Amino acid sequence: MNRLLIALGVVGLAIVAFLSSVFVVDEREKALVLQFGSIAQVREEPGIGFKIPLIQEVVKYDDRILSLDTDSFEVTPSDDRRLVVDAFARYRIADVVRFRQAVGVGGIRTAEDRLSGILNSQIREVLGADQVTSDTILSSERRVLMNRIRDQAQVSAESLGIDIVDVRLKQTNLPEQNLEATFARMRAEREREAADEIARGNEAAQRVRALADRTVVETLSESEKEAQITRGEADAEASTIFADAYGADPEFFDFYRSMQAYEVTLQGETSTMVMTPTSDFFRFLYAPDGVGQTPPAAPAP
Amino acid sequence: MAGNNGGPWGGGGGNRGNGEDDKRPGDDRRPPTRRPGDGPQIPEIDELMNKGREQLRVLMGGGKGGTGPGGTGGGPRITRGTIGLAGLAVVGLWAFMSFYTVRPEEQSVELFLGQRYSVGEPGLNFAPWPLVTYDVVNVTSERTESIGTVAGAPSDAGLMLTTDANIVDIGFQVVWNVNNPESLLFNISDPQLTVQAVSESVMREIIAASTFSSILNRDRGAIADTAQANIQATLDEYESGISIVRINLEKAEPPPEVIDSFRAVQAAAQERDRLQRQADAYSNTVLAEARGRAAQIVEQAEGYRAQTINDALGQASRFAAVQTAYEGSQDITRRRIYLETMERVLGDVNKIILDPSVAGGEGGSGVVPFLPLNELMRTPTGPAAAATGTGN
Repeated sequence: MNRLLIALGVVGLAIVAFLSSVFVVDEREKALVLQFGSIAQVREEPGIGFKIPLIQEVVKYDDRILSLDTDSFEVTPSDDRRLVVDAFARYRIADVVRFRQAVGVGGIRTAEDRLSGILNSQIREVLGADQVTSDTILSSERRVLMNRIRDQAQVSAESLGIDIVDVRLKQTNLPEQNLEATFARMRAEREREAADEIARGNEAAQRVRALADRTVVETLSESEKEAQITRGEADAEASTIFADAYGADPEFFDFYRSMQAYEVTLQGETSTMVMTPTSDFFRFLYAPDGVGQTPPAAPAP
Repeated sequence: MAGNNGGPWGGGGGNRGNGEDDKRPGDDRRPPTRRPGDGPQIPEIDELMNKGREQLRVLMGGGKGGTGPGGTGGGPRITRGTIGLAGLAVVGLWAFMSFYTVRPEEQSVELFLGQRYSVGEPGLNFAPWPLVTYDVVNVTSERTESIGTVAGAPSDAGLMLTTDANIVDIGFQVVWNVNNPESLLFNISDPQLTVQAVSESVMREIIAASTFSSILNRDRGAIADTAQANIQATLDEYESGISIVRINLEKAEPPPEVIDSFRAVQAAAQERDRLQRQADAYSNTVLAEARGRAAQIVEQAEGYRAQTINDALGQASRFAAVQTAYEGSQDITRRRIYLETMERVLGDVNKIILDPSVAGGEGGSGVVPFLPLNELMRTPTGPAAAATGTGN
């Protein structure tokens, strides 16, 4: 029993010793083996590793692409229009030794602080450069600017052992106090557009009405003209007909037409005649034989 | 690797110790990623336990002599039995740790001592712990990130500045899944955040390079397509293993602060249309009326022509007829016509017949000047009838 227990104890110790001297580096990680703070071993490839128990310790760093978002801040491009900008960076720890030396025990948090400082200053520098206006930022040039920020930040970040994969601008907005002015301008533009629409509508309507009125006048006058021509032709034809008919006996026409005219002109209620009975019509009024009255009839008024 | 290999590994005494202190820092992801370890797996655990027990029995039978079969011995045997039971528990636990299932929508990545080792397909998988660790990644399920919209409340999150310094409100969803679980696991630390950040950045870049009206008027599909292509390209640059399935552009509209003005423009456009249509209606009415009127005028003239000519023909023919009759007996016809006409004419007319003697004889300057002509005119019937005595 005693031997068994001792054996168990020895085996247990051996296991503990083995375990504390073995470490596994994951595919996602890089590891440093530190011996009293100095770097004894660098493990960048995944796999199993060995260290001296108690004396050495293992520090692991993420080998994947890490992200960092910057706070939003205002930049002033060369045209003095202020913009609120924020960005994010994608980076990875390229050189663990340098990284460790640069950030010490602070680890990734310290690195992020440093990195955001670098990013902020590079963004300010690139976006505030002489030839960069807010129009440049708000155009397809933006990608060029982002690449420039990345490249410049890359140079600065190299001392941190960090490789910057990408820097991208997210928002590039107007400051709060400029928003209202912009909205007001947009509203004014719309109002102009609306007014324009209505004015054009009125214009078109007026045009249509005017054309319609003109066409009406044209149509009516055209038909009036036609009507007059027709009437004229009719009158001419009637005149010809009359001339042909009456021309056969002008003397009788004179008499006959006069009779008709008397009949029409001397209408009952409207006419009053003052006459003497000496006219031919009244020849028999006083004398049944119709004589005696006739001579004075000639000088009748 | 074959599950059979697990037996010898499992039997290794080192496992018990490992179970206690091999929890590597940063490896705490294993329990959470073991998503299938919920309800449905419980029966499988029993199965595994049984399997493990069998393996243990075989092992003990082979390795440690007659312990198993002779388990019914004395004092030391009881100790051994306890050890055996403990071993059984350990093996069971180990099997529980080593087997895992992968659902159809998932894939697993296995790491042998931290190194990329194999990819597990759907079904039951075996990863002898702790030498092999695994991560299960949901591959085909679509995940959605909303950008620029906050559920339930209007927000400024989607306000973006266009190249002509206007502000547009954009909201969209990015739907993504995983096309390479290894890349996803090993290359980027926070896939969800990465997709969000890249999507927002790409969309803002597109918007910043477009004019306001083109965003509002352009086919939303075109914006979504460009965004999808650019997001995918950026994510591919990171070798993220993420595949963008689609972009749903939910809104691309003027910000709420100015939307009323835009609606007013639409209303104005309607108004313009209305004005034009009203004018058209007026035009149609008036023109139709004019055409009708014109036709009327022309037809009236034609009517006049017919009337005039017919009248002329009628009168001419009447005259001709009368004249023909007149030819025969000129004098008598002439007198007859005269008298008949006079009869009709004088029958209707108010008459004042003055005898020349009364009138003042030859001179004609008798009563005529004193006749109250105006009164005669005013009351044509009364005095005139009395004066003449003929009546009407």
